[in-house]
Amino acid sequence: MHSQAQNTLPNTSKKVNNEAGLAIINSKAPYSSHYGKDALDVALIFGSYEQKVSLFFQGDGVHQLIAKQDTSLLSIKDYLKTFAAFEFYDIEHVYACQQSLLTRKLEPSFHITDVQVLSTTEFSAALNHINMYCGFKT
Amino acid sequence: MSTLHLVRQSAFATNDFAQCLNVVNQNDAIVLMDDGCYNVNHTLINNLLKQVGDNINLVASHAKARAIEANKMIKLIEMADVVTLTFIHSKVITWQ
Repeated sequence: MHSQAQNTLPNTSKKVNNEAGLAIINSKAPYSSHYGKDALDVALIFGSYEQKVSLFFQGDGVHQLIAKQDTSLLSIKDYLKTFAAFEFYDIEHVYACQQSLLTRKLEPSFHITDVQVLSTTEFSAALNHINMYCGFKT
Repeated sequence: MSTLHLVRQSAFATNDFAQCLNVVNQNDAIVLMDDGCYNVNHTLINNLLKQVGDNINLVASHAKARAIEANKMIKLIEMADVVTLTFIHSKVITWQ
């Protein structure tokens, strides 16, 4: 986990989380590695201790949000289903990078509600408002 | 002499697919499986279609699990067909 100096970037037009807290960055596709599941576990642990958590999906990480996936075909547990529990853990800030969706020719049709699609500038501004981040991306 | 290329990584995340394209021959066959399924939406797939034409295969269950719909030029196959392909081609290269 790395800490980052709080940045004073201007507010973006969309509703972004301006409070301090933890940003979790997801940039891996959901099934070929454990990163997605680990990120989810960290988010839920912080959520259950009433810590502010924001989730950022970029790169291949946006695939974690896409609707109509079916893990039963891969014989693995569908951890993406647990994303539906975010509201019970007061995780309200879920951001997807618009550019990543466009590059992958993905429609913004997600399996959870309240995903905010942000442009590259808005995405980086939202990330810079948060002073702690945890990356699931190497 | 022909080669079967098993592409298992997303071209959006790694360079493997691009490297595969560099060595692919006209008579070769490609199988997109696991995260390689994401490559059907990558711009490089058009280069590959030019190089090997209708010899691009996609493992149907892996694509469906990832909510990916294939282009009509790409053949949908099962894992049993992958086994058959390994016998048809003299070499197999796994890109992962």
